[in-house]
Amino acid sequence: MINEVLLWNAIVGGIVFGVVYALIGCSLNVLAGVLRVINFAHGEFVIAGSFFAFAMLNSFGVHPLVALPISAVLFFFAGVALYYLLVPRLAYSDEPETSSFLLMFGVSLMMVSVITWIFEADIRPMNFSFEPINFTLFKIADAYGPGRDGRVLVPTARLVALAINLAIIVALTWFFYRTLPGKALRAATMNREAVQIVGINIHRLSAMAFGLAIALAGITGVLLALVVPSIDPNGGPDIALIGFIVIVLGGLGHPVGALFAGIIFGFVEQFSNLLLPQAAAQMVGFIILVAVIFVRPEGLFGKGQLK
Amino acid sequence: MARKTKKKAANGKWEKARTVLEMQDVHAAYHGDISILNGLSVAVKENCITGIIGPNGAGKSTALKTMYGFLRPTQGSISLDGREISGLPPYDMMANGIAFVPQNRSLFNDLSVEDNLKLGCWQFRSDKRKVAQELEKVYAQFPILKEKQHDMAGSLSGGQQRFVELGRALVVEPKIIMLDEPTAMIAPKISREIYDFIEALPERGITVVLVDQNVRQCVNVSDYIYILDLGRNRGEGTAATFARDEHLKEMVAEWLDYQID
Repeated sequence: MINEVLLWNAIVGGIVFGVVYALIGCSLNVLAGVLRVINFAHGEFVIAGSFFAFAMLNSFGVHPLVALPISAVLFFFAGVALYYLLVPRLAYSDEPETSSFLLMFGVSLMMVSVITWIFEADIRPMNFSFEPINFTLFKIADAYGPGRDGRVLVPTARLVALAINLAIIVALTWFFYRTLPGKALRAATMNREAVQIVGINIHRLSAMAFGLAIALAGITGVLLALVVPSIDPNGGPDIALIGFIVIVLGGLGHPVGALFAGIIFGFVEQFSNLLLPQAAAQMVGFIILVAVIFVRPEGLFGKGQLK
Repeated sequence: MARKTKKKAANGKWEKARTVLEMQDVHAAYHGDISILNGLSVAVKENCITGIIGPNGAGKSTALKTMYGFLRPTQGSISLDGREISGLPPYDMMANGIAFVPQNRSLFNDLSVEDNLKLGCWQFRSDKRKVAQELEKVYAQFPILKEKQHDMAGSLSGGQQRFVELGRALVVEPKIIMLDEPTAMIAPKISREIYDFIEALPERGITVVLVDQNVRQCVNVSDYIYILDLGRNRGEGTAATFARDEHLKEMVAEWLDYQID
C-alpha cells in the first residue's frame, strides 16, 4: 500500500512538472508545425532562460517574477533575429527538415559552449524564496500510523510557477483558437502553400512563430528555475528529449495536443518515480515514446497533418 | 446548352482586348535541375478567359505556379501591366490583384469555412466591416457555404470545398484569377455550376487564366487557348481557329485523345 502523502505528492508533482513539459512541447510544436524546423537546441534556450533568471537575481537582485516578462520580450526578439539569420537559408536545401535538425544541433552545441563560458560548468543554485517557503495543501489524518498526521506540502515557488504556467496555457489556447494571427499560425501548419495564396507573408509569420517559440522557451526556463531551483548548464538535451516525447505523444504540429501530452507525461514520470525502482523509472518515458510511434504515429491528439 | 456556342459568336473580343499578364520565353525548373518550362510564352488579356491545355506533364500547373511566384523563372520575363513581376513572392500577388486556386486543395482543413474565408481577407483584416461584407458576398454566391460556415472546411464535400476556394479567392476583388483544374475530381453537376461561375467572371471585370484537363469544357469556355507540350508552346488560337485548323485539331486529338468538333 502506497503512503497517501507520497501519492498526493506525485499527483501535485505531476501537475507542476506536467504543465512545464506542456509549455516545452507547445513551443516545439509551433516550430515543427509552422516552420518545419525540429529544434534540437530547444533545451538550451530553456536553460538560457533559467540562467537569465539566475543572472538577473544574482547581479541585479531582480526577482524571477520580474525577470519573467523581461525574458519573454528579450527571447522573442532574439528568436525573430535568429529566424532571419538561420531559417530562410534552409529553403535552399532539398531536405529542409533534415537540414534544420543538423543546423539546430549545431546551435545547441554553440549555446552550451556559450553558457558554460559565461556561467561555468557548475550547477548553480537559485537563491531566493517565497514567504512561506512551503504551502500546506491539506492534512491527512493518521498517514504515518495512528495519531501521526501527514501533510501534503508544496513549495510556494512551485505553486506560483503552476499558476503562471496555467495562465500562459490559457492565453496560448485563446491565441491559437480565437485570434486571426493564431489561426494563421495553425493554418500554416495545415497548408503552408495556401497561407501564401491568401496573401500572408510567410516569412513574417514564420519569424513571429520562431519568436513566440523562443519566448516560450525563455519563459519555461524562468519557470523551471522556480520549480527546480538549481540550474545545470548541461541539462538542455534532457529537456529537449522530454519535449520530443511530448510532441510525439501529443501529435507533431498540434499545439494544444502538446499541452495535454505534457501533463500526461508529467504524471507518468512522477508515478514511475513513486512506483518503480529508480533505474526503471527513467525508461518509462522512452517506452511510451517508442510505443506511440509504433501504435499511433500521428500522436494521441494529432490527425497526421505532417507526414 | 447555351455555353456551347457563345464563345464562337464573341469573335474579335480577344483581338481587341489589352494584354494584362504576359509570360515571355520563360524557363523554370524545380530544385535547379529538373527543367519543366523551356521557353514558354503566354499572353493573358483583360476580361478574357485564357485556356491552357496540354497532356499530363506538359508544364501547365508549373506555368501557373511560376506566374504566381512559387517558382522563380531561370530565364525570361513575367509582366503585369507592363511591370516585371517575376521574382515576387506568392504572398505579394494578392496585393497585385492576382488570385490563385491551385489544383491540390488549398483549404485549411481544421479551420471553419468562416475562418478560411476570413484568412482570405488577411490583407484588410483590420477593416471588420469590409470583411463582413466580403463574406456576405461569398455566401450570396454560394448559399450552401452560409449553412456550413461553422463546419470544418475538411468536412465539406469536394465541390463545396472548391466553392470555398473560389469564394476565398474573390474576397480580395482580384483583377485576375488563375484556376488550375477547377473541376478535377468533382461531380458533373457541380462541375457545370463551376463552369457557369467561371464563364460569368469576365462580365464582373475579372480576367481568367484556366488550366484544364477537360479539353472540351476548356475550349468551350475560353476566348483563346494555348496548347503546351514539354514546357513549350505547341499551338494556340481561338476556339473558332481550332475548328478550322486541321493541324491543331490533329495535334489535340493525338495528344489529348480528344476530337474537337
